[in-house]
Amino acid sequence: MQRNTKLTWSLLLIVSLLTVAPVIMLILGSFSSSLHSFGNFTFKKYISVYSDPMLLGILGNTAVFVLGSAALATVLAIYLAYMNNRTDIPFKVLFRVLSVVPMMIPHVLFAVSWALLLNPSNGILNMWLQKLFFLSKAPFNIYTIPGMVLVEGLLDLPVAYLIISPAMASFDASLEESSRVFKSGPVKTLFRITLPILKPAILAAFILCVVRGLASFAVPSVLGMPGRVYVLSTFIYRAVTMSLIADYGKAAAIGMSILAISIGLIYVYRYYTRYSDKFVTVSSRGFKPTVVELRGAKAPLFAILIIISSLLIVLPVLTLLYTSLVPYIMAPGREAFSSMSLRHWHTVIKDPVSLRSLKNSLFLGLAGATVGSFLSILISYVIVKVKSRASGFLESISFLSFSFPGIVIGIGFMWYFVRTPIYASIWALFLAYVATYLPYGIRPMTSAFIQIHSSLEESSLVSGASFATTMRRIVVPLLVPGIVSSWVLLASMFFRELSVSVVLSRPGTEVLAVQILRFSEDGQWGRLSALGLIMIAVATIMVVGVNALGARFKPGESREKKKPKNWQAA
Amino acid sequence: MEIKIRGLKKHFFSEGKLIKALDGVNLDIKANKIFTLLGPSGCGKTTLLRCIVGLETPDEGEIQIGNTIVWSKDKKIYVPTEKRELGMVFQTYAIWPHMDVFNNVAYPLQNMKLPKDDIARRVAKVLDFVQLSGFEKRPSTRLSGGQQQRVALARALVAEPKVILFDEPLSNLDAKLREETRKELKTFLGELNITAVYVTHDRVEALALSDIIGVMNAGNIVEQGSPTKIYFDADHRFVADFIGRANIIPAKIYSQAGPYTEVDTPIGRFSCQKRSFDAKDELMLCIRPEFISFESPDNKGDEGDNLNRVTGQIKQMIFVGEVFETEIRIGDTGLMAKLDPETKYKEGDKLVLAVKPGHCLLVSK
Repeated sequence: MQRNTKLTWSLLLIVSLLTVAPVIMLILGSFSSSLHSFGNFTFKKYISVYSDPMLLGILGNTAVFVLGSAALATVLAIYLAYMNNRTDIPFKVLFRVLSVVPMMIPHVLFAVSWALLLNPSNGILNMWLQKLFFLSKAPFNIYTIPGMVLVEGLLDLPVAYLIISPAMASFDASLEESSRVFKSGPVKTLFRITLPILKPAILAAFILCVVRGLASFAVPSVLGMPGRVYVLSTFIYRAVTMSLIADYGKAAAIGMSILAISIGLIYVYRYYTRYSDKFVTVSSRGFKPTVVELRGAKAPLFAILIIISSLLIVLPVLTLLYTSLVPYIMAPGREAFSSMSLRHWHTVIKDPVSLRSLKNSLFLGLAGATVGSFLSILISYVIVKVKSRASGFLESISFLSFSFPGIVIGIGFMWYFVRTPIYASIWALFLAYVATYLPYGIRPMTSAFIQIHSSLEESSLVSGASFATTMRRIVVPLLVPGIVSSWVLLASMFFRELSVSVVLSRPGTEVLAVQILRFSEDGQWGRLSALGLIMIAVATIMVVGVNALGARFKPGESREKKKPKNWQAA
Repeated sequence: MEIKIRGLKKHFFSEGKLIKALDGVNLDIKANKIFTLLGPSGCGKTTLLRCIVGLETPDEGEIQIGNTIVWSKDKKIYVPTEKRELGMVFQTYAIWPHMDVFNNVAYPLQNMKLPKDDIARRVAKVLDFVQLSGFEKRPSTRLSGGQQQRVALARALVAEPKVILFDEPLSNLDAKLREETRKELKTFLGELNITAVYVTHDRVEALALSDIIGVMNAGNIVEQGSPTKIYFDADHRFVADFIGRANIIPAKIYSQAGPYTEVDTPIGRFSCQKRSFDAKDELMLCIRPEFISFESPDNKGDEGDNLNRVTGQIKQMIFVGEVFETEIRIGDTGLMAKLDPETKYKEGDKLVLAVKPGHCLLVSK
């Protein structure tokens, strides 16, 4: 007992320093006039931000962008979840691919690939369509709100899918069957029974997408800023990068309102999901809900699935590959193919900044994920196995950063670290990453701990094993799947982190996503694509490799059907 | 080994309410017998078992296993679970999913740091005993419920403990398998010289398996005795009611002079098992449905046989397979009885009920 109390309190201290401290610094910072006059209380920043005539337009843009993309993601997710769990659509393996692969394509690259396809001056698809239909100007412009909504909606689709699909899979089929018995067709049953019952999951998915849209920085910066369409997150970015003197006080003051909205929304999200994450989830093997036969509708519905998959995975990767090989952006054709070369690849491999960013991101991904997973094991142990008031408090502050938009918490960390020697060092990024993404590490670990029924430990004690032996031979081996999930999730998020890094990264501590953003701001599309493809390849090797390693430790075949991770990708 | 429990108390707070899981339990469990703790859920039986094995710490009292005190509040003794050298079969079996059958069963021996070939020999022996020879390399996730149960038993027995504990080990099996496994378990335990403490809420299981049953209610042992004593001759109304189906009728003493205690009830005067009560005691007459026999109204049988006889009318007959569960009205009182499936009686018929005095049990209210 003594040992547990000590552990709980030291974790409380560590987690407070990681998650509570930056929030406090953000609040204090918003009342200060500059980084160097910290503590001189002033309302100046709030007044200047909230009386800015641009603000109303920005709020409007933000609302349309966030709600539009969340709605798009949720509707597409419902469609995919229904197709996968309830119909006889072919190639169901596609759904697994769709929910995992986007993890390996960083958001900033995804946004860039759409800019390459549909920008109004030389978008590849635009040029091609122009030629095909003899149009006088480009038919599409991605640098608009509808363009941003489309891309952000596609990016948030896997997240919404991973919430809605398990809910639809664990749905009691007899509720639907009884509706069929009482003379409702499959379509009527879907709208009268299935969707209303799934309302909590659907709302939870929608809210989570709203929060992610609010925090999104990649899409607004790559697709919004060229067309001067600003939302709150790029408004913050502008405050710290576009004026002569970076105004961190103003950024903090804007950040406060995003933070407040996010925390409010996450509270609502937790309300809707309060039951789904509490219980031991038993995979219902052999249980098959009734399958709706699509018959004639099969072909068109399958076509939609194929289109979504190619928009999400094939098109971005192909675009990057094509752009990395041609000397400048041109419509695909004989001329393009004859001028292809590895020139951009050579430039990138010899570019010292790109190499340094690759090295930094690799370090942050590997070391950060290792430290983050270790911390997650300890925190999850306390949350699940030590039931005390302190452990409950630890749970709430560990999940605090789940509602932090990266760029806002980055500003908070700026106010925090500028007073310490780690400012502008790689450790600033390291700590900020671990703090910001801690919930993503804890989540798979707690569900792994919950799955270890206490009688498995107790029977070990009864068999004469000490506490240490029980840990070594029973608990840790059973935790391996959870440890692997935590590590992979953290590593892939750290490896392509953008929104925290964009504030904290300094010359010498460049990271990949920031370097991609710089290339995009400079219009260096060829180098960007080459570096981006290297990034995707490394991330894929990392995820696949660790999963394969973890699979060797899997107990029997009992964990074949793992519960999909509810949270993913930032 | 004998288990002695003195003044054991364990209180919980749940949702602001104090729950007395163990309310001063005193209990002696005799060596090499199968002792069953029987009671409704929440009566404290599992808490008592977990205190014996050391997974739960009592608030007060003392537990002695053999000659060793394993827990005592006053003497400040606490022997941790892993040092108590007991065997236990968990309700969920707690078979470790990441180990094969051999490693699950060998685990207690591995903790004793025995030589490898010794372990192999003993595991083979115990697997043979539970009829799982050849299953050594089977991953434990590929076992049926009954096989998991036997692996759990093998693991509990392999270190040859003097005491083995069972926490509702059959409750996760389906009805047919439960019956088979119960028989098996009875055979296994009969062949061993071991003290077994068995927790269950299933009265049939308790009656079938035990040498001695202790019936628990609200944190106390209400009564203990052999299965027949508990079934036929319970001292407490709670026990009589819990151990089987019973018709319970209020009764008042008429006479205690003769060889039987005679009582007055709403359905007439009954001669009952001899037991001494205070004349003013409010009593309950307890008659099990299976001990009510029937005579037709015209042929009343031998009047000199001391049987209690009352006339009633069949209100309802429900066919459940081996019998008709029958409700018989006698005035305002309804009695449950069992009729032979090939009976000639039908609903609405009048008949005479006959009960031997030995099957009329009087318990205090």
